[in-house]
Amino acid sequence: MSMLALVRKQLKSHPALIPLFIFIGGGAAMSMLYLGRLALKNPDVSWDRKNNPEPWNKMTPDHQYKLFTVNMDYSKLEKNRPDF
Amino acid sequence: MSGNFEEKIKDYATAPFDARFPNTNQTRNCFQNYLDFHRCNKALSAKDQDTAPCEWYQKVYKSICPLAWVSKWDEQHDNGNFAGRI
Repeated sequence: MSMLALVRKQLKSHPALIPLFIFIGGGAAMSMLYLGRLALKNPDVSWDRKNNPEPWNKMTPDHQYKLFTVNMDYSKLEKNRPDF
Repeated sequence: MSGNFEEKIKDYATAPFDARFPNTNQTRNCFQNYLDFHRCNKALSAKDQDTAPCEWYQKVYKSICPLAWVSKWDEQHDNGNFAGRI
């Protein structure tokens, strides 16, 4: 019998286990989603070293990297490095 | 933009906030400015322009980087051994 069919059979006799699956499955899904977000949207990550080697240099000067900023007013920042 | 950098370089106090590196660990800020200084020199001298604006990056990395790292990297750069992409 496959794994899924076995589990389904056991769940029918122990229905109280269903919330367990929901919470563990939800937790696993959320952690995988966060890892995926970090992998794809984090500017410190470089996937394509030939075409996009330093994605953190493409941020605007007022890009807010952190989730909560306590003392920093990001709207007043501007570019302060010379071009070359 | 590069016009008013002479004043900024003269009034330099310390490295300004860099949105790319907002956390306490400023290692990458140090390395990035060191790289940018050398890249700026290389780019501006290839275009035959004055490399004076690049001094900004040098001031920033000298403020942030430990002296031991700077001397090690300078030595590697002079020997052609430097690992960063310049």
